[in-house]
Amino acid sequence: MSASSSQALEYLELLPRQTHTKLYEQPSTVLAIFRCMLPHLAKSLVMAMLYMPSSLSAQDLDTWFRPTARSDKDKSISILEQLHIVVLKQDASRQNSYELSKGFARALRQALEGSGSHRSFGVPSSETDPDKVTVAFLDEFAQGQWENILFYMVGSTVGLSSSNALGRDVGEGTKALLRLGEFVKSTHARVSITRAGFTFVLQETSAQVWSLLIVYLKHADQLGMSETDVLSFLFMLGSLELGQDYTISTLSATQLQMLEDLYAFGIIYRSNEKAKTFYPTRLAVTLTSDAGMLSTSSTLRNKAISNEVSHRSAPNTGFIIVETNYRLYAYTDSLLQISILSLFTKLTTRFPNLVSGKLTKESITRAVKLGISSAQILSYLTSHAHPQMQKNNPYLPPTVMDQIRLWEYEGERVETTNGFLMKDFPSDAEYRDLAAYAESLGVLIWRNDARRMCFVDRVDQISSYLKKKSQK
Amino acid sequence: MNAIDGTDRQIKTDNSPPPSLLAIVLDTNPHAWAHLSSTLPLRNALANILVFINAHLASGNANEVVVIAAHSHRAVFLYPTPKTPTPRNNSNGNGNGAANGDVDMNETGAGSMEDGGPKDVSISDNPNKYRPFAVVESAILQNFAALLDATTPAHLAATPTTLIGGALSLALSYIAKSTLLRSPLDSVVDNPLSALADSETLHTKRESLTSRILIVSVSGDLANQYIPVMNSIFAAQRKRIPIDILKLAGDTVLLQQASDATGGVYMKPDRPEGLLQYLMMAFLPDTTARRSLVMPSAGGVDFRAACFCHRNVVDIGYVCSVCLSIFCTSDLPSNLCLTCGSYLSLRSAQTNPPALVPRKKKKKKRAGGADSTTPGGSTPAGSGTPMHS
Repeated sequence: MSASSSQALEYLELLPRQTHTKLYEQPSTVLAIFRCMLPHLAKSLVMAMLYMPSSLSAQDLDTWFRPTARSDKDKSISILEQLHIVVLKQDASRQNSYELSKGFARALRQALEGSGSHRSFGVPSSETDPDKVTVAFLDEFAQGQWENILFYMVGSTVGLSSSNALGRDVGEGTKALLRLGEFVKSTHARVSITRAGFTFVLQETSAQVWSLLIVYLKHADQLGMSETDVLSFLFMLGSLELGQDYTISTLSATQLQMLEDLYAFGIIYRSNEKAKTFYPTRLAVTLTSDAGMLSTSSTLRNKAISNEVSHRSAPNTGFIIVETNYRLYAYTDSLLQISILSLFTKLTTRFPNLVSGKLTKESITRAVKLGISSAQILSYLTSHAHPQMQKNNPYLPPTVMDQIRLWEYEGERVETTNGFLMKDFPSDAEYRDLAAYAESLGVLIWRNDARRMCFVDRVDQISSYLKKKSQK
Repeated sequence: MNAIDGTDRQIKTDNSPPPSLLAIVLDTNPHAWAHLSSTLPLRNALANILVFINAHLASGNANEVVVIAAHSHRAVFLYPTPKTPTPRNNSNGNGNGAANGDVDMNETGAGSMEDGGPKDVSISDNPNKYRPFAVVESAILQNFAALLDATTPAHLAATPTTLIGGALSLALSYIAKSTLLRSPLDSVVDNPLSALADSETLHTKRESLTSRILIVSVSGDLANQYIPVMNSIFAAQRKRIPIDILKLAGDTVLLQQASDATGGVYMKPDRPEGLLQYLMMAFLPDTTARRSLVMPSAGGVDFRAACFCHRNVVDIGYVCSVCLSIFCTSDLPSNLCLTCGSYLSLRSAQTNPPALVPRKKKKKKRAGGADSTTPGGSTPAGSGTPMHS
């Protein structure tokens, strides 16, 4: 599981059981969820249970895991339960046993065996397209569309208008979506980026795509689309083949409606609005895998190379060098990257393929005031570190990392977390048990053993745990 | 302020497991499968293994698979498809299995690293199948059919065994190559020396590829390949590549040692019918997942070795004192070691019973003065010692 799919996972976890059941009807969806959403151990668990004739008793499960891996096991099981993939059953003799949900198991088997007639992995167009587009063209298209969106968000804040830089303007639908997702806010017809927007811009491309799509999903109902249809279509896109055209004849009404929006995002390409086929771009096929994603313009020059490299082993290209004296050099000529950098750097010089500047207290505190956190800056610098920097561990000089944090902490010294306080435990044993469970789930934020209190940021799994315990 | 103590500098918590390469060595010995056909026909076994491969590919986005058939007269890649058609090898089983593997590797080496084999393999565009799965499956089935077509009755009559040794070395060399290609720094390709120079930082930093080998074995009588197989096992042990064994039929001596030495999984199911469940439960978890799971292993391992002269498994044998080769008999041709050519003679050992040398009576120790005879008395401290005693 990676950073980009984890937010998709969070979204999925919150869906009700009915939606899950409906989603699991499509083998492509099930396979995509299995491939990218589940933690590693959970995958082993699901696969072990997939062809098991009977259910797996909780006791057997315990013996299968090493005692040291207890917390990992709890985490995997709880995610599987949240997604309604695994069901806990109690038989007549009050023995707990786990079982895969029927629909999920059936669909996953179909996906693995290639059986059934669900046609969920996309139907390639039967007739050959006279003007077939190349993969390079698709890449360029996707990159162009996506950078347009980013530049729309960043450009106005930095003071560059989007129209003079990249030519094409962002569609009204996309603009509305960005506002709905609170990535930008418009005051007096001037668009300015929000804190959430910064988080968005500084993420990696695949994470950005998911963030935007999740906003899209959340508002699918308002647009009269079925959420399940939207989700299965997205997961299907993730399992398509780059450079292949697919027919639209098998798509549902909702999915046809989506095509236009996805075209605006650069996720799919259609030659015109009446076309009977569509091409998934690299943004689409990497929805469910992180390997070989489309890197933003920093690699425009390397594009010829990166296209040839198979999508599994795309090189990790970065362009930023940070020195211990806070100087920053970025090998880029992209206006987008320069404007992102200028959000938190004092840029001094610009050369044809290089900009240089300095991270100063002033520039960092200005960024913090705009709503960018130091962690975001650091993760941006880390994920775009030059290959030469990647030889170091950590990539960035520790002094610079610490100082950036210190500058931020000067302004704000309190960190807040929303959550739940658990207190008034009847016994110390009960308190310790619960606190240990919360810790193993990774939801424990704070604990005070003397006062038997702990603070968790998510309570649903804990409450089901307590319920289970009280039944015993 | 306490939060800044440098402990959480590593922002990128990259907890996604490294990609895993699974090398499957499929024993395709026709004799053994014919024997098994009543319980588990080859067709079913292959179908189950294909599902297992799909499950492996689904378990990680960057997971890779390589399938090698260990046939009766040759070992050959089933997936990825070798670029150039492999010419017939005339090795007939009793020769050196490893040498056979070397030949294959050289020919396939250039093309084998390509993803998914040649593009001109026609894959039916089946909308019910995830495309990467379909690519792998069709390649394996095609190559397997080609292998079976190329097998003539003469090959079958020549030998009853399987070239596990050759297949193992093919798998190991493929893994070694993939690992090299996966190593993170670009400079490796440009300048291998620079990679050597900072190899230490390289290894500690990123775990590039975890590999394992799964041998699905049906035939016994591997003793005639004792040396090549053992060499492969030691190579795997050194590279920390676990060798998993699924033994569907046949005797177990050598392969048990393989899984034991490399820390792999060993299973010999009593009933081979539930093949898929065995594969899914015991063999699917990769090295990362195995850290938290209890994996089945061989209980009592048979550590017996095969002799170098007749390839018999021996309990007690004769060992060359120079090169440690094992022989089941003492009368070697002209008393020379078959491996290193040293002169070995057992005549003295056999004719003369070990003589009991009577223990010499010890001389009585001189009390006190004994220490003063030791050298080094020149130093003042040393000379002072006997005075005090």
